[in-house]
Amino acid sequence: MTFSRLEDRRLVTGAGRYVSDWNFPGQLHAAFLRADRAHARIVSINTEAARAMPGVRVVLTAADTAAAGFRSLPCAAPIPGKGGSALLKPERPVLAGDVVRFVGECVACVVAETAIAAQDAVEAIIVEYEDLPVAMTAEAAVAPGAPQLHPGIPGNVAIEFETGDPAAVAAAFEGAAHVVSLDLHNQRVVGSPMEPKGCLARHDASTGDYFVHVCTQGTTGMRAQLVATTGVPDEHVHIVAEDVGGGFGLRFNAYPEYSAIMLAARLAGAPVRWVASRSEVFLSDEHARGVTSRGEVALDAEGHFLAFRFNFLNDMGAYIAPTGPVVAVLSIRACLAGVYRVPAAVANVRLALTNSVPMAAYRGAGRPVISYMIERLVDQAATDLGIDPVELRRRNLIPTAAMPWKTVNGLGYDSGDFPAVLDKALGLSDWNGFSARRAEAGARGMLRGIGIATFIESTGGGASPDEVEARFGDHGEITIHAVSHSHGQSHETAYAELLASVLGLPRERFRLRNGDPGVRLAGNPTGGSRTMHGVGSALRVLADDIIAKGRELAARALEAASADIEFDNGVFRIAGTDRSVSLDALIERHAAGPERVFDTRSSARTGSTFPNGCHVAEVEIDPATGVVSIERYTAVDDAGNLLNPTIVAGQMHGAIVQGAGQVLGEHAIYDLETGQFLTGSFMDYAMPKAVNVHGLTIADHPVPTPTNLLGVKGVGEAGVTGSLPALMNAILAALRPVGVTHFDMPATPARVWGAVGAARAGDGRRFAHA
Amino acid sequence: MYEFTYIKPGSLPEASDLLTRHEGAKPLSGGMTLIPTLKQRLSQPSHLVDLTGLAALKGIALVEGRLEIGAATRHVEVATSTVVRESLPALAALAAGIGDPQVRNRGTMGGSVANNDPAADYPSAVLGLAATVHTDRRSIAADDFFQGMFATALEPGELITRISFPLPERAAYAKFPHPASGYAMTGVFIAVTGGVVRVAVTGAGPGVFRWTDAEAALQASFSPAAIAGLEVDATDLNADIHAPAAYRANLVRVMALRALETLQTSSKGQ
Repeated sequence: MTFSRLEDRRLVTGAGRYVSDWNFPGQLHAAFLRADRAHARIVSINTEAARAMPGVRVVLTAADTAAAGFRSLPCAAPIPGKGGSALLKPERPVLAGDVVRFVGECVACVVAETAIAAQDAVEAIIVEYEDLPVAMTAEAAVAPGAPQLHPGIPGNVAIEFETGDPAAVAAAFEGAAHVVSLDLHNQRVVGSPMEPKGCLARHDASTGDYFVHVCTQGTTGMRAQLVATTGVPDEHVHIVAEDVGGGFGLRFNAYPEYSAIMLAARLAGAPVRWVASRSEVFLSDEHARGVTSRGEVALDAEGHFLAFRFNFLNDMGAYIAPTGPVVAVLSIRACLAGVYRVPAAVANVRLALTNSVPMAAYRGAGRPVISYMIERLVDQAATDLGIDPVELRRRNLIPTAAMPWKTVNGLGYDSGDFPAVLDKALGLSDWNGFSARRAEAGARGMLRGIGIATFIESTGGGASPDEVEARFGDHGEITIHAVSHSHGQSHETAYAELLASVLGLPRERFRLRNGDPGVRLAGNPTGGSRTMHGVGSALRVLADDIIAKGRELAARALEAASADIEFDNGVFRIAGTDRSVSLDALIERHAAGPERVFDTRSSARTGSTFPNGCHVAEVEIDPATGVVSIERYTAVDDAGNLLNPTIVAGQMHGAIVQGAGQVLGEHAIYDLETGQFLTGSFMDYAMPKAVNVHGLTIADHPVPTPTNLLGVKGVGEAGVTGSLPALMNAILAALRPVGVTHFDMPATPARVWGAVGAARAGDGRRFAHA
Repeated sequence: MYEFTYIKPGSLPEASDLLTRHEGAKPLSGGMTLIPTLKQRLSQPSHLVDLTGLAALKGIALVEGRLEIGAATRHVEVATSTVVRESLPALAALAAGIGDPQVRNRGTMGGSVANNDPAADYPSAVLGLAATVHTDRRSIAADDFFQGMFATALEPGELITRISFPLPERAAYAKFPHPASGYAMTGVFIAVTGGVVRVAVTGAGPGVFRWTDAEAALQASFSPAAIAGLEVDATDLNADIHAPAAYRANLVRVMALRALETLQTSSKGQ
């Protein structure tokens, strides 16, 4: 059997190596005692019985992490707050010592000879708590008189950001012919990667080195965070990772468990492994979204946008995760005006602390928040003003001739052809044929709706250059090292095909090795759809550097000046002659020598790109049950040049369905009174299923970006950025004829049925969050 | 999971004896509910008595006009059995829709009925068909067997051996799967047996129950129109984070209508 992706044979035959596949002699097992309540003072922790149990080797509490010199988990704001204010940083301990602030927070760690013995001992630990009142939603946390989560963070607001020009926006609103506003809630969701998070740490007492096997999206960020928390010097922390089973943003940060496992391995003098159960994933993996927002648009009499004004209140959970503020503000700043020519815009973002799992990056990382806000607001304006939603968009799109475009808050888009993307999507989705399909559905008693979203993304610029390294093996294999980790993005194939096409070598010659502790590179974790423009550009440089080396060697071999040597399809030739030598032959001759002449490290530095698209969704709703069925979905995207269309289609499918999951049912729910987590398993947390989605049409309209060597824009997240608004606009379009005027996600059968019933009884807003 | 002793008895009396002798012992059939609760440490049996090797609990047969199904018969066997598909197609269709392929290849009818999960599918068929539950001690009529959420007439250590179904003139099952778990958020089994209409509802309430208003209406006129206007009292139905009781009340009527629709398109139901 042949596989189109190089990694697939390994992954589908069970030969992948994940955290739980690593085992070392003498390995011990860890288990964590987690807070069973959302907010409480710890009066005492008694570990005596646990320590005395058979097979128990180490029991850690906050006293032990303090003795080891552990510090708060790190966090930072990517830009200053309003008026230059700084992030008020909550102290986040590895193990809670004084106060627990969410159900699932780690309180103690037990290491024993078996996983069962460790679990038994966890149950023997006695913690006396004194319960404190809880604040379970961002609105509740910022209300007067709310319980205060952290000393030094009054009102539970860690920072407030503002981007844009509030005075210009206020002036525009004053002179506007129409003002349309919309309150929206983007509900809290759980990422649910297939591989539960895990960590195996080994400590070498003779050198002080730690080898930490973890699920990671990239070793640099993981190592830096572990260093910041444990105080172990950077050169002694070695991250090891091979295959990683999904991330979506939640495998970026170093969870507190990882630091505890490192300490446990040192104290036990043996390797220690811990792999989370699915219950622990639900309770302690970072959650995401959780944003309450209000959007307003000012329009002139002809329906031209004059200004946008947005307010976002973000539920950040009990602590600020390292990626949390980045997700909350950067995409909103970069995509503030969407794809529209709007002269003024402003957004205010407040980060509130609540008694829940910390919030962080999740596919789209803020773009699905701003795109959802803008595109639902535009549809609301179209409805209120009686303008066709396509026509309203067309009237306001940034014209292609105006590229590059400077946005209202001083940032910019380098390229794009928004009107053409819109036209292609309208054509492929047969937008004009919808009324016939609606009539046919109506005859069957079904409500049919069509919805559109025209959106833009901003990909990750990267905190450092991306380095890559090629090492030439003795048997012709070429091993590529890079920081950005593949956890489903098929880097192994994409990198090999890129290098193979430039170097004229078969793609099977290349191996990818991420997370090799023997090769330390500068670079960025996988995230923000940036790998192909960042690492891809570095690989293009790498290929050129290898060709340059080959050219010198070819000149020597052919006894010619290197300036006279041409390179084409893997062969160096003296220009105008038939005298040639292949790169392959030069590699065979020179690569294995002691100087390793072909081994090369290269790097590139790229900035954000702006993938954009137009998605059209068509749904049918059964009013008797409230079931929403996605009947057609058309995605036209400008992701710049596409290197491997199959991988691109896979990313689009996955992200669109991930968005459909949030639209149709995913919802992380805490009990508002007790703070207990109510959707802690797949029995209660509704993942999308194959039957929910039919007939995806994926197409592209590439406008190569001039900002990187490959002209690529990135594609990992556009599907979800487009599908949240496109699907919800379609659902609203289906529900408006029965009188529903507002509806917040998720569109579960019970909520949709309830909205239809309430609308028929005269209440069209019953299922709005606000 | 806590430690336990695993025993695979060779005969039904031996299994029964083990379960009686060890107070903390639990019978293990397909384990589709028991094993997840063990893994989450929600249950701590001293012994697990594995029933899957007992020939006395197996088999599907038509005996004197009744369909007899051994308690340890797996859902996939019910779903694919020619005997069941020909004599009681609604039951085969119900079995084919339980859980997912993994569950259907492990889970058993006896295990599901003994567990009496309020959202399980089989209890609606057993009650709707007025089946008889045979145990190693006695025979129990369906109307007496189910006693609310996870509660049955079974005594400690008592084992279901087989379930005996009368063959209905018509029967159909329609369920609305829970969007997350796939369990019946509401499932309705309608059967006409010996001229008597029964309508059994699972998923909507704290345990399987008969919708007697619909039974009376359908007895008078066996048609969708007979129940289309019936209101279902939501008072005692389940309400949770997924749906209010009113939604489940609505589903009871809608699923009953859908079961009737399938009956109208085939003479024996499916």
